[in-house]
Amino acid sequence: MPEHRSTTLGRVVMVPCLDPMQIASDAPATFRSSADRPGALELLATAAREVSSRRRLIRYLVRAEIKKKGTDTVLGNVWWVLDPLFSLLVYVFVMSIVFARGQPEFGVFLLAAMIPFKWFTGTLSDSVTAVVSQGQLIKQIQFPKIVLPIVSNGAGLVNLGVGMLVLFAIVLVVPEYRPHLTIMVLFVPVIAAIQAVLMLALSMFLSAFTVFYRDIGIVMGHLLRLLFYVAPILWSFEAEMGRGKAIHEAVGPLGFSLLRDNPVAILLESYRKAIYGVPYQQVVPGGEPIAAWRPATFGDMDLVALGLVLGASVLLLVVGTITFKRLEPAFAKVL
Amino acid sequence: MRGTIDDQATTAVPATQAAGDGTDTPDMATAVGSTTPEAPAALVVRDLGVQYNLRFTKDTRLRKSFRSLLRRDDEDKRFWALRHAEFTVRRGESVGVIGPNGAGKSTLLLALAGIIVPSEGVIEVNGHISTLLSLQAGFDQDLSGEDNIHLAGALLGIPYETMERIAPEIIEFADVGAFIDAPLKTYSSGMRARLGFAIATAVDPDILLLDEVLQTGDEVFREKSRQRIISVLQAAKAVVLVTHDMTWVTEFCTRALLIEDGRVVMDGAPDEVVRTHREHSQARRAARRERIELMRRGEIAIDPKNLPAREEAPRRRRRG
Repeated sequence: MPEHRSTTLGRVVMVPCLDPMQIASDAPATFRSSADRPGALELLATAAREVSSRRRLIRYLVRAEIKKKGTDTVLGNVWWVLDPLFSLLVYVFVMSIVFARGQPEFGVFLLAAMIPFKWFTGTLSDSVTAVVSQGQLIKQIQFPKIVLPIVSNGAGLVNLGVGMLVLFAIVLVVPEYRPHLTIMVLFVPVIAAIQAVLMLALSMFLSAFTVFYRDIGIVMGHLLRLLFYVAPILWSFEAEMGRGKAIHEAVGPLGFSLLRDNPVAILLESYRKAIYGVPYQQVVPGGEPIAAWRPATFGDMDLVALGLVLGASVLLLVVGTITFKRLEPAFAKVL
Repeated sequence: MRGTIDDQATTAVPATQAAGDGTDTPDMATAVGSTTPEAPAALVVRDLGVQYNLRFTKDTRLRKSFRSLLRRDDEDKRFWALRHAEFTVRRGESVGVIGPNGAGKSTLLLALAGIIVPSEGVIEVNGHISTLLSLQAGFDQDLSGEDNIHLAGALLGIPYETMERIAPEIIEFADVGAFIDAPLKTYSSGMRARLGFAIATAVDPDILLLDEVLQTGDEVFREKSRQRIISVLQAAKAVVLVTHDMTWVTEFCTRALLIEDGRVVMDGAPDEVVRTHREHSQARRAARRERIELMRRGEIAIDPKNLPAREEAPRRRRRG
């Protein structure tokens, strides 16, 4: 029902009566005028209404997006599973054999952070082109454009889902990995939910700004690659191999704080605690300290930091949605 | 609300029947006859203006846009694609919009469809709008024709049940055969046109907007779409179509608008408006020839700026 109503409402501003039931009655009347410059709250309300009334459209587009990703390759959707496996092999080889260092059970250590990170980069690079790639559609038909970044985020969920399945399958299959699985794993959905809000918020800005500046796509590619090394994925702040102290010395206190206290680092370290446990350096009397791990406890989770990330993400999402709605009317003219 | 959907269901069926069988063809006279000046207005356009800002187009570079930001020379980067347009479209009317390339016809349709927001003025819309503005695109090239029908329904905000009901009818009208299960990118332009037209008209719009879509397709499709438009008109709905095909305007339109340089210069009976358009076109062609002659003799600089736009040549839409 509400889906039909929005045909006439769309993003158009109604002047005479704001009751949607009335508008969709026999003679729906809508007015389009430049005079309407809706306020921030109004834009937010419109966005919420559009999203809730177009759930089916979002579902369709997500399904189409997922379907498309598999169609060009011979193995199709098998790649969803093979992709994380292959990158695991590459990094395990590089880190444990080439650099000859590594945390015990490096596979779990790595995947615990890498799968959420791949979800992060995949979704953000998709959302950069979310609006731009639908230029033809936008010029052809009137529909709420806000669904587009949401679709990118929805389709990206497959990334996380399959990745996590692969991770847990590996943990269950490999006997040495099994002790890492504790009750703390229940934190994973919570952390993922916070990450989802953060990504959706960033997507709103990225997808809208790219319409005006295509350069954003290129810049994002480089930023995300940098982030891969700067974020605690191949290393950890607490582990021997990451050598928090060494980093601290190299980048100074401010740089260290930026590296450790940014939302991505907080999220990734939390995933690692929930899935792998807490890496630490075991002091051996009379010898080099060795890398070790212990199962995480409830107290190990930095709930304050996670809460702050969530708060900031929600705020960013609100500002991002308003920004997107402000820029939306210009899309069809610029694309 | 429920009532609206039910209405749709009942009116959608006879619409196809009329279009489906060619035997009792309702002729245009009856369709036109049902129109009276007092018929309720479907679209009221008051002082409509659409301004484009060229600062953000595809060929704008950051350097350029910074420069214009610093100099604040926005004024010369803006232009009015359409201005001071004022007209009313009543139910049962079929309005043809004609004019030279780049005059603002497509911009007008985009604004009526709600795809772009007017820079000034007001558009009052009474009813559900359905649009078919481009045949090159379709909706999603990788999805099958049938998936595209459902996607179109979701994009237009039509309930799933309604789409389920009208999908067979759309497939029948589109007449693409086994291609209905093939990805849209494998379609010929004629098939795309038929599918697009079938979707746009099957959703039972109160106002149907068409842009340059009737030129495509073979004779059979032209006849079919003619029937369909007539049945839309008979249901006392309004049609606005942009076309370069003057036969369509004189044969199927009850009124015509002539747009030149972003202004509605004439609004009246189709044959009169078409005649004026032809006269103006000839005058422009003559002027162009004259300029070329002047260039050849070296009396004015050889510069494309000194030439008026070529007539009827499909020009790449830069600002679309």
